[in-house]
Amino acid sequence: MNSTSRFLLATCSLGSALIFSGCVSDGVRNPSGVPVTEMKADERGFVAGTGVESQDLVAVTDKMARSIIGIPEIAQASATPRIVIEPVVNNTRFPINKDIFLTRIRTQLNEKAMGKVRFVDREIMKTLERERDLKRSGQVTASADPHVVEFRGADYFLTGKLDGMTTRTSAGTSDYVLYSFRLVDARTSEIVWESSAEIKKQGLEDAAYR
Amino acid sequence: MRLRFSAGLLGLLFLLTACETIPDRPRIAYTGDPVIDGRAELQAAQPKDRVLWNYRIAASALRRNQPDEARVQLDTAIPLIGGILANSADARKARGLFSGEDSKTFIGEPYERVMAYYYRAILYWMEGQPDNARACYRTGQLIDSDAEANAYKSDYILLDYLDGFVSTKLAADGEDALARAQKNARGGALPPYDPNANLIVFAEYGQGPRKYGGGEFGEQLRFITTQSRSTHARLTLGSQVILLPTFDDLNYQATTRGGRVMDYILGRKAVFKSTTNTIGDVALTGAAIAASNARHYNGGTNRDAANAAMVLGAIGLISKITSAATTPKADTRAWDNLPQRLSFAAAQVAPGDYPAKVEFFDKDGTLLHARTKSFSVTVKPDGDTVIFVSELSR
Repeated sequence: MNSTSRFLLATCSLGSALIFSGCVSDGVRNPSGVPVTEMKADERGFVAGTGVESQDLVAVTDKMARSIIGIPEIAQASATPRIVIEPVVNNTRFPINKDIFLTRIRTQLNEKAMGKVRFVDREIMKTLERERDLKRSGQVTASADPHVVEFRGADYFLTGKLDGMTTRTSAGTSDYVLYSFRLVDARTSEIVWESSAEIKKQGLEDAAYR
Repeated sequence: MRLRFSAGLLGLLFLLTACETIPDRPRIAYTGDPVIDGRAELQAAQPKDRVLWNYRIAASALRRNQPDEARVQLDTAIPLIGGILANSADARKARGLFSGEDSKTFIGEPYERVMAYYYRAILYWMEGQPDNARACYRTGQLIDSDAEANAYKSDYILLDYLDGFVSTKLAADGEDALARAQKNARGGALPPYDPNANLIVFAEYGQGPRKYGGGEFGEQLRFITTQSRSTHARLTLGSQVILLPTFDDLNYQATTRGGRVMDYILGRKAVFKSTTNTIGDVALTGAAIAASNARHYNGGTNRDAANAAMVLGAIGLISKITSAATTPKADTRAWDNLPQRLSFAAAQVAPGDYPAKVEFFDKDGTLLHARTKSFSVTVKPDGDTVIFVSELSR
């Protein structure tokens, strides 16, 4: 075999190797799957968007809970204030589970406020009323007089609002979300506390999706 | 020498044929129920195609009054389509020379993604979360801002109209959104908002757009659109008649997006495929001419011509193989059970049970009898009662 033939053989082999290397696939990426990765809730995962994510929830609700504990209406109250949670209003472009923000603020406060504040559960009001009626009718036992009204009224309402602003250009998508929460005096309608947190995210998707 | 070439060529063809491996796909026993069959398809689908089946099942489930199933499917798809898909290996592969666009994870064209949010919004409203429904309308309109021409950016009438309507119902200002909707309606008068309306009706009719690959190599994403005979509908609820005119047309939305960034990439792939094919043709022709000159009339060998034939033959072969392996094909996977026309109405209706009938009409106002659907509606005493009627339900 002369040098030209050797060159040709090498060229053909290289070409073939290049082509076949592209063919080494069974059509499925990660055929063995990707093992479950446990992450902290305040950690950014590898699946991300510009919307409301768990790390935002944790950061925002931590900040709100810390702030509420410190206000005089709670910290220096002569009697333990009772709070009723009202649903958050979502004004952003992201559909979210709205209850999750207030649920986390409530659990944070219940864990850390050491009884300085109590929450009134209105979610199970119908169940509570049914139980009271059963007690009143004598169908079940009662440890106190069921005819005395003991359901607590609210001293404060805790609610919030999510507002958003979006910019989308060929350079990407940018989303700003303002999380604001407030505590309203149930008697006077005064806002006794309000705080906000803001998060901005931006990104650009792969050209294959543009 | 010819023997070596033939053997090499045969070997290449054999190996390339072996590369066409397709993963085993479970056999599906079809039942005729689009939700059950869709779930089976979803189970069998490759990960990159799963959102497509989530979409299809969701639409079928909604039409068969299975909102929980539709919710599950859309809640699976939306986190993916609503995120930022970057650093994705399959998207990178789709941009590469040797894979078609359909090797990327399917999320659909903007009109398909918009519809995923549109359907999810209906479900949110049914669940008593109109603010989350409004969030879906806003994201839908943002997705449509990808259109190339300004005139077609964010031009869904219904998305802005409903954004404003929900805001009005939530005691916020919906006038800006209504003004945008009115502008997109291009002179068509939109009904004024009635914040006390408690019956919310979503209707759809006609068959939505289909995709095909145009151009020499199927590298251009094109749409097949057919005009539905039904152009408007009418809901009769007891003695109350509610008109359901067309607000949006998905054929129009699909075909007015304009060029995509991916079209540019596919165009370059097509040029590469064409060029390498031409180089292959020229080189192989040159090889044939050189080979014909490799022997002298006197029986001797022209070594230079023989070598040239080999080199040109190798170049031609590699160019041809490269051209054949280059895949500029556009992604034609499509959410194929979408409607063509979207309609909406809101009315004040006293709580109670009603016999209901929805009738579809053509552009001349002729009733299309065969498409009439009868059902019953229970209007709740509190909150909004949301109903969804589709000409495509079966």
